[in-house]
Amino acid sequence: MTETAVAPRTTTPARASDRSIAENRLGLRLVAPAVVLMVLVTAYPMIQALYLSLFKYRLTVPDDKSFTGLGNYVTVLSDSLFWKDMLNTVLIMIITVAIELVIGFAFAMVMHRIVFARGLMRTSILIPYGIITVVSAFAWQFTFSLNNGFVNSWFHWLPWIGPDTNWFGDHWHAMFAIMASEIWKTTPFMSLLLLAGLSQVSEDMLEAAKVDGATWTQRLVKVILPNMRAAIMVAVLFRALDAFRIFDNIFIMTKGAQNTESSSFLTYRQVIEQFQLGMGSALSVLLFLSVLLIAYILVKLFRVDLAQARQEA
Amino acid sequence: MKQRMGPGHWVGFLVILVWCLLPVVWIVMVSLKPVAETTTGSPQFFPKTWTIQNYKDIVKNDDFLHALVNSFGIALIATFLAVVFATLAAYAIARLEFRGKRVVLSIALAIAMFPVVSLVGPLFDMWRVLHLFNTWPGLIIPYMSFTLPLAIWTLSAFFREIPWEMEQAAQVDGATSWQAFRKVIVPLAAPGVFTAAILTFFFAWNEFVLAISLTSTTAARTVPAQMSFFVGSDQFNPPYSQLAAAAVVVTVPVVVIVLLFQRKIVAGLTSGAVKG
Amino acid sequence: MAPHPRRRPTRRARALAIGATLALTAGLLAACGGSSGKPTLTWYINPDPSAPSGFKGAFGQAGIAARCSTKDYTVKVQQLPGDATQQRIQLARRLAAKDSGIDLMSLDPVFTGEFANAGFLAPIPDQLAEQLKSTTLSGAVDGATWNGKLVVAPLWANTQLLWYRKSFAQKAGLDMTKPVTWDQIIKAASDNGGTVGVQANKYEGYVVWINALIEGAGGSIIQDASKGSDAKVTIDSNAGRDAATVIKELADSHAAEGDLSVSNEGTVLGPFATSKGAFIVNWTFIYSNYKDDKATLADLGWTRYPETVAGTPSKPPLGGINIGINKNSSHVDDATAAAQCITSADNQVTYAVETGNMPASKAAYDSADLKKAYPSDLLQAFSSSIDAAGPRPVTPYWSDISSAIQSTWHSPKSVGSSTPQKSADFITDVLKGRKLL
Repeated sequence: MTETAVAPRTTTPARASDRSIAENRLGLRLVAPAVVLMVLVTAYPMIQALYLSLFKYRLTVPDDKSFTGLGNYVTVLSDSLFWKDMLNTVLIMIITVAIELVIGFAFAMVMHRIVFARGLMRTSILIPYGIITVVSAFAWQFTFSLNNGFVNSWFHWLPWIGPDTNWFGDHWHAMFAIMASEIWKTTPFMSLLLLAGLSQVSEDMLEAAKVDGATWTQRLVKVILPNMRAAIMVAVLFRALDAFRIFDNIFIMTKGAQNTESSSFLTYRQVIEQFQLGMGSALSVLLFLSVLLIAYILVKLFRVDLAQARQEA
Repeated sequence: MKQRMGPGHWVGFLVILVWCLLPVVWIVMVSLKPVAETTTGSPQFFPKTWTIQNYKDIVKNDDFLHALVNSFGIALIATFLAVVFATLAAYAIARLEFRGKRVVLSIALAIAMFPVVSLVGPLFDMWRVLHLFNTWPGLIIPYMSFTLPLAIWTLSAFFREIPWEMEQAAQVDGATSWQAFRKVIVPLAAPGVFTAAILTFFFAWNEFVLAISLTSTTAARTVPAQMSFFVGSDQFNPPYSQLAAAAVVVTVPVVVIVLLFQRKIVAGLTSGAVKG
Repeated sequence: MAPHPRRRPTRRARALAIGATLALTAGLLAACGGSSGKPTLTWYINPDPSAPSGFKGAFGQAGIAARCSTKDYTVKVQQLPGDATQQRIQLARRLAAKDSGIDLMSLDPVFTGEFANAGFLAPIPDQLAEQLKSTTLSGAVDGATWNGKLVVAPLWANTQLLWYRKSFAQKAGLDMTKPVTWDQIIKAASDNGGTVGVQANKYEGYVVWINALIEGAGGSIIQDASKGSDAKVTIDSNAGRDAATVIKELADSHAAEGDLSVSNEGTVLGPFATSKGAFIVNWTFIYSNYKDDKATLADLGWTRYPETVAGTPSKPPLGGINIGINKNSSHVDDATAAAQCITSADNQVTYAVETGNMPASKAAYDSADLKKAYPSDLLQAFSSSIDAAGPRPVTPYWSDISSAIQSTWHSPKSVGSSTPQKSADFITDVLKGRKLL
């Protein structure tokens, strides 16, 4: 709709010297609606969170509101639960993304070479990607459920699984179930992004390497991976930040029991469940800062300026 | 070119199929079990007694149907609007030189990373004041905001792939930027726009945190949020198999979209999303 | 709007855009407008069990709403989520925002103190309060009282009994006519290949159990609840340690169910209906639940909640639903009148017959309809259990205290003699805002 508002202005023929000014103006006009929307929904809430984080404030005891400065941050940062949940979150992020990267790469290799039933393959790979996380969480909760799940009866021959293994009964089992659900749902996304990268690796270069007598491993390490660096980077960055914000799976599967709580879940509980607006806002701010920090680390790790990379493409 | 397929690929092919479809088949199986069977415990893969009663119950469940309508309406409107805005922005980013381009990209990046949970509290208060709480726009607006970055990202990468010369040629022939955009870019960009639309739709269809926090009745509650409202014959046992049936029903649109557009989605992702 | 539809497609696009905007705002207007004619009272209810097939008309609380609609107002129900935590979140957030879209609400007793203290509830007129106090079972009155005032109107009262398989108790040689202790039933079950079903997932139900164990040993989780966050934490006591002993004994015994650490009121039903089924502690709905399972029903026995300490009478858990009136409702007087109707003895009886959720009103237990639907000794067991109940403390900070207990007492296998002390420290820190929950 906004495009229609913009259109008439640019229909007048522009002289060469006016062109850059017109272009500048058009550019700003075109991005304005998107930017306004993005900022509207995030900026005000974030400012409010920053403000509230300086108060001791509980929704159900409004008379008790008082200024505490950085008190909430001190409490949060010196609290063992905060760090325990942070550790959980980082563990989930690292483990799931690492496994997804490996499996996703294997999937991408297969999909890249498959010459038949590509439609079937694409369809099935897109289903986990498109399925609702809540549904996926339910499916996996049923899968691992003691009374209604098939995991124990199918895999009880494994030494560490018995017919009575209660998958939601202790920390590591529950974490395993949560991560399984997360990995299942998001590996396809990873593999599609990697497939895209893979299709950019030149077949000629591969052939040339083969003629030169390079082994499969050498080709993988010397030719395929370096040429896919950008694809891998984007895939890892997107997935890592997504995994760091994990919430739905935990909400459905364990509600944070067995110490499976993530940082997002902790923040949700403080703000929404406990009505601790002050403390919860401090957590919100810290959560956002953690996300920024992770993004920064990842970008540094890949030694690529993301925005720059986009520009140069 | 890629003719050779070893046995490894065959195994890989089967592994991928099983990986992707087993949990889906499983939830279909659960949905075909009678509620009584899942309440007493039914650990076997296939139902002991097959029934479609759960589906019959679900289509009679008005709240669930309302939620389904809400989900469709909200997701479609959010998708449409987000794609329109993202297309404009992405075109500008890919093709035009203007001050603040990097700022826009940084904002988009920051919002793509934003932990939704940290917005829920303030957004609730804001929506109460603006009377957006428990309404369609109350969900549509944040869904647009959160899908814009990915849409802009996908689209701008896509637009960059479109050969510059053609637009320039068109401009040399006397077309304005706008005409060049409409005549040359739109046909070339359509697959990218389509991909962005599908990604946006999936996000809106999927979203949970805002859906449970910013709605209170069936006036705006979407399906993911409605799932926790299922009640069985007693208040303590959720009707698992009915829940599974609901899960299957909301998965159907996803499967349909994927079946119809799989080539486009993958092509879109492949040519657009990752050409860093 | 379209004088040159062919030449100016942009116009049409703009019209479309305006149309879309109108569609968006229509939702807003619908939410604000439309208050002409007779008022509609919106009653937010906890979900009722689904109506049995073939049931005609409105069921459960929706049925009550229909019967309590008058020529002056209509009562309409809106459903809340199934889980009490989610119910509390939804209601409190909106009440704190002074939302007038809620008139009446079905409240779990555990957030009564919090809502009353926050000033969310319209006061119940003295006359009605006196009347309710005199006609309601005393346990239920306790659960509806904050700072000495009745703040909500009890609709139904829930309590837990010890349900058992008669054949199993016989096999184990346990005399169920006398009060039994936790120790006895755990031993009887584990020695005879049976299980004891409890609620020990990390959720409110687990705290129900812990509270009942502590109350049953003569203790309490906190004292001076009316002092809010300055209440005295008394969970670190002999009673607290007695409670920990029982939980540990069950967790380490063969009588524990495989999914003990994720068990709830629902998960224990399956095992109870099998050959391993021996004992469960559970709410009143159990009887209705097995009503159609004739084999299990014939073998179903019930008695008072087990004793924590032999010789000290148990204090069974109390639950149920009370009706609260939103202070910011636009129709407080109508809502108050409706609340009185909703909680009338007649409605309580119909509701109990339909759902198995037992009345809070004393008189309701003498009703012929109720006696027709349930055995008289069961009704007797329910009402005396409600009267003897040891409710969870009514405090504005219950959700904090409960969560703090859940974090320190879960999982049941980790409970030991030091648990009460750890939880006391943690609760104190949480109430003082020194620790995160």
